[in-house]
Amino acid sequence: MKRRPLSTVVSTLAATAAALALLTACGGGSSDSQAAGGKTTVKLALWNYATTPEFKALIDGFEKANPDIHVEPVDILSDDYNEKLTTMLAGGDSTDILTMKNVIGYAQYANRGQLLPLTDEASKLDPAKQSGLDAYKIEDKYFALPYRQDFWVLYYNKTLLKQAGVPESKLENLTWSDYAALAKSLTKGDGGSKVYGAYQHTWRSVVQATAAAQSGGDLLGGDYGFFKDQYQMTLDLQKAGALLPWATASTQKVTYNSMFSTGKAALMPMGTWYAATLLADTKSGKTKVDWGVAPLPQRQADGKVTTFGSPTAFAVNKNSKHADAAKKFVAWAASEEGATTIAKAGVTPSLQSQTILDTYFALPGVPQDAVAKKAFKPDQVVLEMPVTDKTADVDTILTEEHELIMTGEKSLDAGLAEMSKRVKNEVG
Amino acid sequence: MTSTTVAPAQAPSQPPSKAGPKAPSPARRRWRSIRLGWSFILPNFLGFATLTLIPVLASLALSFLDWDSYSTPKWVGLANVDRMIHNETFWTALRNTAYYALGHVPLTLCAALGFAVLLNQKLRGVSFFRTALFFPYITSLVAVAVVWNMLLSPDVGPVNQLLRAIGIDHPPGWTTSTTWAMPAVILASVWRDLGYYMILYLAGLQTIPGELYEAAQVDGASAWQRFWSITVPSLRPTTFFVLIMLTISSFKVFDLIQVMTEGGPGRSTLVLSQVIFREGITQGRFGYSSAVSMVLFVIVLTITLVQFRLQRRSER
Repeated sequence: MKRRPLSTVVSTLAATAAALALLTACGGGSSDSQAAGGKTTVKLALWNYATTPEFKALIDGFEKANPDIHVEPVDILSDDYNEKLTTMLAGGDSTDILTMKNVIGYAQYANRGQLLPLTDEASKLDPAKQSGLDAYKIEDKYFALPYRQDFWVLYYNKTLLKQAGVPESKLENLTWSDYAALAKSLTKGDGGSKVYGAYQHTWRSVVQATAAAQSGGDLLGGDYGFFKDQYQMTLDLQKAGALLPWATASTQKVTYNSMFSTGKAALMPMGTWYAATLLADTKSGKTKVDWGVAPLPQRQADGKVTTFGSPTAFAVNKNSKHADAAKKFVAWAASEEGATTIAKAGVTPSLQSQTILDTYFALPGVPQDAVAKKAFKPDQVVLEMPVTDKTADVDTILTEEHELIMTGEKSLDAGLAEMSKRVKNEVG
Repeated sequence: MTSTTVAPAQAPSQPPSKAGPKAPSPARRRWRSIRLGWSFILPNFLGFATLTLIPVLASLALSFLDWDSYSTPKWVGLANVDRMIHNETFWTALRNTAYYALGHVPLTLCAALGFAVLLNQKLRGVSFFRTALFFPYITSLVAVAVVWNMLLSPDVGPVNQLLRAIGIDHPPGWTTSTTWAMPAVILASVWRDLGYYMILYLAGLQTIPGELYEAAQVDGASAWQRFWSITVPSLRPTTFFVLIMLTISSFKVFDLIQVMTEGGPGRSTLVLSQVIFREGITQGRFGYSSAVSMVLFVIVLTITLVQFRLQRRSER
């Protein structure tokens, strides 16, 4: 190589350095979280801050109890939450507290070693009262503590029931065949003004998790004969016109809220999280629907209520620079104080006791009758989807085949056989 | 960029004498212009290297690893490829991608050419129609997908209501039917892309000299003959470009399908990009996901090279 004047080399290097500096500047981010006045600032990854009231309630409540810690929300779009969190953690992000939106995501983060163990904090909780705690146990260790536990109930439109002359007490002890008969009898009208007897959202869990919880079937087992009754009933209702067809709900991207809160469906199995939406929308005047809550219908009318649900938890990032403060928050959210705060926001906390239930029922707008009280005290809440390293793959297969059965592209028997075959072959 | 200002300082300040001994040697002069060229390319190349080249190479390396984005990667050799070959979902996605490309490329090409020829006339309001056809391309994709889903809804959608009105009793189920979901997606994507390629063709049409058409008309050639013998051959460079861009974009299709059908019903519209996204971002298997993306890369590269070769041969 020929001799290059030094100035050329220097200026080229300088330009390169400047370009690199520009590129890295965006990725750096400062870690200066020690605010003035000796307050520790911890960051909390969460979703849809504006429309999920319990986050603000928790942060406010915790800051009041711990004036030396400031919690700063990191708001992420709900639909992309897990993908975004995966990417953040892969990039070495140090957001202190991570909300575990579902148990599947939790298992992934925990197995990758991205979360700090919280076994000591977990041992202080009462497993009999802390519903959903078991779901977070991985080889005798805990990496997250649940603060809320949602489970499925049956929402009903009081006005539509009254018009049809159905007493609400009938809903206290409903079997699935009673539910189907009721849905058919409540269906009326035609075209744009049609009122469906029931609405079952497009999710596979509406059929599959219900069947698994109530029949004791194993969603990861690879043998799905136990889905049959539940599918049969759903397909039959769809054929009879008592349910909005799955295909329409899916292509029109129908939201369950629009079906129920506008009185287009009389009965709707849905998670307890929906009660918070209904409470808020009723308060702000967005909806005028007169709603009630009943226990999820059962296979047999023996008075026992088995439903399925999924807990939500907080975990501490392994890269957290304020792990102690972060752990304090996680433990507080799972405690009685945290649970009371959540219940006041209209959300069902993980910690269950009569006092907390009373707090929930004392909220303005919450149905007060015996049916509702029974709905909020199920005898057994089965985890929506058991967590192993196979869960995510099985979930994909079950979702795909659910679509084919619900659109009628495959007969029920062929669809169930295909599910079993694919889970056995593809998930090893 | 910086060395341009430096370069004169290095050259002798007096005007170069004709055959003076101090004039830079040809080799040296060539080196200087090479360096000059590099310095012009450098800013862009730096960006390309850090944001595209290195990630592509990293992805190639990743396809031989087992990596969840966090723990230490494990060398697994060809295990990812082995898993891919024996995975039914991969083959389904590959078939679907080919199906999509075979529908999307020719249909978009023909539609874009057809509309370009139609809208190349001197008509009143021609710019309105051009804008109207270009509009889908600049509209938000999510809105496009939602609207098409509503139009094609099996029971209440206007498309099927129209089909029923003209006497078709059992119109297709479109995005809810395994047979019709892919045609529905292709239809929506042709509608969306055709405006952009039409503009490319319109630009190509402007370059064809009018004398050719006049001469052909004098010789008594029909409109159809003029189209086949003048328009189509003259547009060959444009067609080549459009074909390559269309093929690449067809194989890489992701967004429209993700929003319209999410690969469903079942796996009937699942394409390779979705497999890559699902395996990598959702399930955290970055090694396997990279292996699939390498397959996609090789397919697109091969097709593009073949097209280049065919183009060169036809130019001879």
